[in-house]
Amino acid sequence: MSSVVEINPLTRLEGHGSVKVFLDGARVERVELHLSESPRLFEALLVGKSYAEVPDIVCRICSLCSTVHKVTALLAVEDVLGIEVSERTSLTRELMLNGATVQDHALHLYFLVLPDLLGVQGVAELAGVAPELVKQGLAIKKVGSLIQETVGGRLIHPVNIRLGGLGRVIPKPELTQLRDELRLALPACQDVCRLFCTPFPFPKLPEPAFLALEPSSVPLGSRRLRLSRDRSFAVGEYREHVEETFLAYSNAKLSKVMGVEATVGALARLHHAPTLSEGAGEIFKAHRHELIGKDIRGNNLAQAIELYDAAERALQLVERLLELEPGPEAGVAAAPRSGTGTAACEAPRGVLIHSYTFDDAGICTQADVITPTALNQGALARDLLALARGMEGEETARMTAALERLIRCYDPCISCSVHTFPP
Amino acid sequence: MKPVRLAIAGLTACSGCQLTLLNCEDELPDVLRRFELVYFPMAQSGGHREGPFDAALVEGAVSTPADLDMLFSLRNASRLLVAVGTCAAFGGVAAMNNGQSQRQELLRTVYGGHESLPESFAPAPFGNFVSVDWTIRGCPPEKEEVVELLAALLAGTLPPVRSYPVCTECRSRENLCLLLEKGELCLGPVIQGGCNARCPATGIACEGCRGPVREANVAQELELLLERGFGREEIDRRMNRFKPGWDYEQRR
Repeated sequence: MSSVVEINPLTRLEGHGSVKVFLDGARVERVELHLSESPRLFEALLVGKSYAEVPDIVCRICSLCSTVHKVTALLAVEDVLGIEVSERTSLTRELMLNGATVQDHALHLYFLVLPDLLGVQGVAELAGVAPELVKQGLAIKKVGSLIQETVGGRLIHPVNIRLGGLGRVIPKPELTQLRDELRLALPACQDVCRLFCTPFPFPKLPEPAFLALEPSSVPLGSRRLRLSRDRSFAVGEYREHVEETFLAYSNAKLSKVMGVEATVGALARLHHAPTLSEGAGEIFKAHRHELIGKDIRGNNLAQAIELYDAAERALQLVERLLELEPGPEAGVAAAPRSGTGTAACEAPRGVLIHSYTFDDAGICTQADVITPTALNQGALARDLLALARGMEGEETARMTAALERLIRCYDPCISCSVHTFPP
Repeated sequence: MKPVRLAIAGLTACSGCQLTLLNCEDELPDVLRRFELVYFPMAQSGGHREGPFDAALVEGAVSTPADLDMLFSLRNASRLLVAVGTCAAFGGVAAMNNGQSQRQELLRTVYGGHESLPESFAPAPFGNFVSVDWTIRGCPPEKEEVVELLAALLAGTLPPVRSYPVCTECRSRENLCLLLEKGELCLGPVIQGGCNARCPATGIACEGCRGPVREANVAQELELLLERGFGREEIDRRMNRFKPGWDYEQRR
């Protein structure tokens, strides 16, 4: 007899989604992942807007990723206009991205994933059973938030980073405060891995094909995407390698990269041998065997390592900014120019690609955004099926709990993902 | 004291308004103690939306049948319905082209000519469909305004209404006037304050994310911007970024 088990809505993640498991008796026939977030159609709305407006509008795709959306959009527009930014601007953007990673990984790990490990429903019960961990999570998250607020001018949808420069240079006393707060928070950031180093005991999943930006020695300077070990392509040529198809049941289109279902995010980045900060590098070395060559269940531990890396790096960036000679930092008044600009950044949950075409007057004629969760959708659906098949005959509640937990390993950001462009 | 029962949910949005609550790191432990989060899918599993709730804090525009269903259900289950953020109050960024393009065209631009396009209509604010008891503005809202509302709910009341423009706060911070002194397209004079002139204090012109202030002199702002050499199209685009359909004739 056939039946359908539905998890609706998916909880403890960003955005609206659901999962349907189609059963024939105890046998799992197929699994559908529905990313049902209402489409906001940003790519269509951006057509007709000027180059100066695009970054301010497009960061509103997502609150958790608003910093990285804004930085990626700025890089893509600057790519068209041929703008080069100063060291201070570049360092400031990098600092904000690291702050966003601290804030976002802390939110995800402590408040969305940890309830699974402690067997509670969410943040409210967590405060009852593990008040100290809640306090620790909030303290870590707060230092990430402080960076966004101080440097970005606002915690969500930052205003201080702008085309070619900054709204205002961050004064030294504010940087000094950030430095002190980061130093205070570092021990707790180092401690996060301890909580997430045991992957959950469910059946083995297919081996992922990891996609991440190639590590670069220049901040925000990476222009190539690497898929697993031996395949890579230039960011500007992503259209030739990323194929999107429309799914009748999901509002995010399914992406395949070089013909495979790619996995992006923290674990993918660690597989591509980035240069980690000293402390995070040590932790990574100690946990290497739990991560390299493993499936997506290692992603939360990878996020914990990245959280520490981002905190250490943010501290270095603040120290470097404190050394810079004071000076004004106006945004560049650029003349419009026609052309297409493309940029990719690593969002907390994986590769994010923005591409825009402008006419002579600087008016946008085409916009395209491919987000981490859109990229992950195929691999996530594949893993859900493998996990459900591996748990055939289990109690429904146990299976749905495992499926939800698997989804949280991916840290999906659904409102981000529901924006794609026709092939 | 009986805890106040809350529903926190999002319709068509970026989740930024719900995230703003989670970003109140200092206040969150207290909030978790004093409120019962009965329905909060973003941070809590296993909830149900049937209520009853003392208040529902809902973000996002209404742009799908599912949004409408959720809005009606939370309205019916709650004593107070709070529209959180500019999408809920005015339609927000998703509604910016409402006055100029058809929804189906936009859908086809993004999804191509498939038969089963996602169900979606022009994004609209809550007030078009249900009665709203309180509105917090902003994209995203200020933390302080969220905390202020929660504190008022505990006291069984609602916060005071703000009815002054961004310029009032900008002047009191003694910022350089970006509109008059730097000739930038700043919407401060017609936008409701409460953000403590966040953007102008950073050197960035007000982009209007908090929507119109009561008694805004929109006609005068338009005239001023035209005088300063901005094109009508550019002004329209900026004015419509967070709220479509301004009344440019409006004077105090």
